Amino acid sequence: MEILRVENLNFTYSLSASETLRNISFSVEQGDFIGVCGATGSGKSTLLRMLKRELIPLGKAVGNTFYKNVPLEDLDAKTSACKIGFVMQRPEQQLVTDKVWHELAFGLENMALPSDTIRRRVSEMACYFGIESWFDKKVSELSGGQKQLLNLASVMVMQPDVLILDEPTAQLDPIAAADFISTVKKLNRELGLTVIIAEHRLEEVIPVCDKLLVLENGSILIFDETYKAVSDLRGKESILCAMPAAVRLFSRFDISTDCPVTVREGRRFLEENFSFNVKSLEREYYSHSSTPALEISDGYFRYRRELSDVLHGLDMTVYEGEIYCILGGNGSGKTTALSVCSGLNRLYSGKIKVFDKALSSYKGRELYQNCVALLPQDVQTVFLKNTVREELSDVNADFSTLPYDISPLLDMHPYDLSGGQQQLVALAKVLASKPRLLLLDEPTKGIDANAKLGIISILKKLKAEGMTIIIVTHDVEFAAMCADRCALFFRGSITSCDVPHRFFSENNFYTTAINRMTRHLFCGAVTVEDAYQLCLKNSKA
Amino acid sequence: MIVIKNKTLRQVLSIITPFILIPCIIAVGVFVLDEKYYALVTTAVAVLALVYFITGFERKQTGTRRLIIIAVMVALSVAGRFIPFFKPITALTVITAVYLGGEAGFLTGSLAALISNFYFGQGPWTPFQMFAWGIIGLVAGLLSTPLKKSRLLTVLYGVISGIAFSLIMDIWAVLGHSGTLNTQLYVASVISALPHTVLYAVSNAVFLWICAKPFGEKLQRVKLKYGV
Amino acid sequence: MNSFENYNPISVFIYFMTVTVTAMICYNPVLILLSFFGSISFYITLNKAQKGKTHVFLFALILVSAAINPIFNHNGATVLFIMNNNPVTLEAFIYGVFLGIMIASVMYWFAVFSQIMTSDKLLYLFGRISPKTALLLSMTLRYIPLFSLQIKKVSASQKTLGIYTDESIPDKLRGGIRVFSVMVTWALENGIITADSMTARGYGIGKRTHFSPYRFKVRDFVLSAISLTLFTVSCVAVASGTTAFSFYPYMSQIPLSAFAFLSYFCYGIAVFIPTFIEIKEVIRWKYSESKI
Repeated sequence: MEILRVENLNFTYSLSASETLRNISFSVEQGDFIGVCGATGSGKSTLLRMLKRELIPLGKAVGNTFYKNVPLEDLDAKTSACKIGFVMQRPEQQLVTDKVWHELAFGLENMALPSDTIRRRVSEMACYFGIESWFDKKVSELSGGQKQLLNLASVMVMQPDVLILDEPTAQLDPIAAADFISTVKKLNRELGLTVIIAEHRLEEVIPVCDKLLVLENGSILIFDETYKAVSDLRGKESILCAMPAAVRLFSRFDISTDCPVTVREGRRFLEENFSFNVKSLEREYYSHSSTPALEISDGYFRYRRELSDVLHGLDMTVYEGEIYCILGGNGSGKTTALSVCSGLNRLYSGKIKVFDKALSSYKGRELYQNCVALLPQDVQTVFLKNTVREELSDVNADFSTLPYDISPLLDMHPYDLSGGQQQLVALAKVLASKPRLLLLDEPTKGIDANAKLGIISILKKLKAEGMTIIIVTHDVEFAAMCADRCALFFRGSITSCDVPHRFFSENNFYTTAINRMTRHLFCGAVTVEDAYQLCLKNSKA
Repeated sequence: MIVIKNKTLRQVLSIITPFILIPCIIAVGVFVLDEKYYALVTTAVAVLALVYFITGFERKQTGTRRLIIIAVMVALSVAGRFIPFFKPITALTVITAVYLGGEAGFLTGSLAALISNFYFGQGPWTPFQMFAWGIIGLVAGLLSTPLKKSRLLTVLYGVISGIAFSLIMDIWAVLGHSGTLNTQLYVASVISALPHTVLYAVSNAVFLWICAKPFGEKLQRVKLKYGV
Repeated sequence: MNSFENYNPISVFIYFMTVTVTAMICYNPVLILLSFFGSISFYITLNKAQKGKTHVFLFALILVSAAINPIFNHNGATVLFIMNNNPVTLEAFIYGVFLGIMIASVMYWFAVFSQIMTSDKLLYLFGRISPKTALLLSMTLRYIPLFSLQIKKVSASQKTLGIYTDESIPDKLRGGIRVFSVMVTWALENGIITADSMTARGYGIGKRTHFSPYRFKVRDFVLSAISLTLFTVSCVAVASGTTAFSFYPYMSQIPLSAFAFLSYFCYGIAVFIPTFIEIKEVIRWKYSESKI
């Protein structure tokens, strides 16, 4: 049965000259799981908001949206609020109240339900989501993943028919993200809930979608079943780059079989279409300079005396001019390691040298002038002014020397920029002190695949200028593409460190999708490019 | 706590409360009761004024975004106390009142007082403190047009209200202590609190001088962009 | 557990108000001492040997009050000695001690009150008068830990920009203002997401209810009824002058009429109710544990 229908929808923001959405028509069946994809600025978020009456942005809309054949604007307020649920990107900001139980009850309070009904529904939902054990907690004590699950639960408690998710996992680490997606899938499978989801990170999402809706410049490019939709993406680089590795690899060839989506299907695709005579690529031996930019030997750190060690016998050497990626799970101490390198925290035992000089002998601002700079995980923490231009002059940044062009953004307010653009402005601000050692904390969090490629090329340019770069990240694909060396952090120290193709080939689980796909067929293929080159050498024809 | 279910009764009460009850209590306090009950009387007046104000706020429709901005300002003035040298309650109350009106100012001041006492200790002084800070906000809201125009005036208002606040709280402390308003004791307590009061006034002045305009712009932008 | 803090917040609130208001209006040494011992015994049953600082502070407060009152207050007939041409009297001294004990007992009551009335319970009380204010408070309480954490993040990232150090006071102040300014923008801009999340869940479509996990049970009714009855007795006693006691110029006799005794008895019961409930619970647990 049809549950949502959009007819010839056009939308223009009130301050914008051109249309953000053009001639959008589609219909959603009950129980569908629909993925919405498209590059930043293609109108994904706007489209999703147009489906939820309370969140329709200010602007001019032409066309109609129907929920069960009733136009959205004719729905009564309670149906509209309850039956269409909406979960957004930032987990902390969506929470309204201070306690978990109160957050769950919030929507039902708005419906003016009596206490007993609220009590029953809230306890039922808490059981279903397994949040009984943190029912009495303050929301500030939850992890990011738990917060987002709570947001989902407090929407589900209103018993929606349609669930709309706008990049719900963008701020989560990969494990919490996979957890979240599988919970959504469970809701779809067990309750027949209709799901419409837009996401940056599509590796896990695409395989669970029934249908894909691909947007390009505000119009629908493709709306079809997932397997058919992904095979039609050849040549659409801006959309393709966010797709799962198997789809990206498939699209490099002109083979007319079904497009693989998962790692398993990708492996079958390779097995059926290629021979495996050449096992590995010839790679140049990686040689780094002999002068270390940063050296930590036997470092120990804890936040308070009564707590346990966060860094535990850490030995780490990063050489001048290399890109060094630190990977590892949550709480392994990698972000703390970065704060120690940037002088924000001090080791209680062990030595740390920056450019052959003990970190403690840098006085005042000396460390942050032409020496070390840190791009924080939350880039909004550096924004102070009303326009990008003022931001840059605040630190006397010369944007003409940047390895990228920032001039189109100069007169905008930093908070009106997309995640990727905010990243670029923050980086410009950080680079103003002309650092020789640049530290980045999760630079790919919350930004789309195109922006990620942009960051990679910027980092490579900075490296070519002689900068040393240390990156802490969860993103294995990103590390595989840009690192000179990768290190695995575990329980406060580094357990392995190597060049990416060896580092990831030796890991079984903590590795890229391509490597998992090809590990029995090739040796040391970690990126789509690697696999593509090997496939070319092993062509059956 | 009394829960008044009847709507008309509630409306009647809310009109009667300020005009009859509060002057009555003050009159009883002054003429009937012994002066040793002054502290209690002032607390009762403060509580009633707060209840009156809050019921008024309850009845009115307040947009979600307005509500959020008030919550943000209250939380900022409490959380700001964790930054060294910072005590932004008065300054933020004034800024909020100037840009969002007297009601928002009253709420910001009084709720900030209530919540910061969660961290620094509730006491019999809580209602009076809430009332005093609320009034600072309310008056700033009434003066919003001249205050918005002149930075100097804003700073002056911040300093005067800061000093008035500590003088009044000192009266309350003396009342609370000896039950009577002993002038000598009052002077002594004002003098002993002088360095603190001066520091507070100066920090308020500096804060408002530097921040009133930029913070106002930030509020203004959010107001415009999201139609508060 | 059935301890005092698990009673419905309304009853707990009524109890505290009646007990402290009586202490503040009575001006009678017997009632004040009862209030003092009642509050101290409850404080100790709740905190055992911990939080010794409160005791030190409050006993120091009694001493200070005893010392200050005779210096500023020269009423009283029994002159002990002359200081700076002013008489220091015995009555003023005793009045100071008495005031100190009264204030200390009110402070003890408020200390246990703050401990028991967590923000949840206070919100429940507010929710009965004004659901909207309760929501506003809840939102604020949710923001404060978030903002405190964000303040730490902002100071760290502003520091690494190398614009200020924390070596001199003006520099620190400048840094503080920078950090706070970043926070204001951050909080206001991101608050809009919270607003969206609220409207998406139907906030603002009309009257809302206030849900709370607390229920009003028979025992809560009993506690409120008892506190109000006992309060009425002491109020009548105070208002009728039965318990009146004066310090100046000479201290009067402690009122010992039958009604005065009744009010002492009632207030005595009232102030020890929480201690009694706590001890009863401990004994019951010991007993049921021994059976397991």
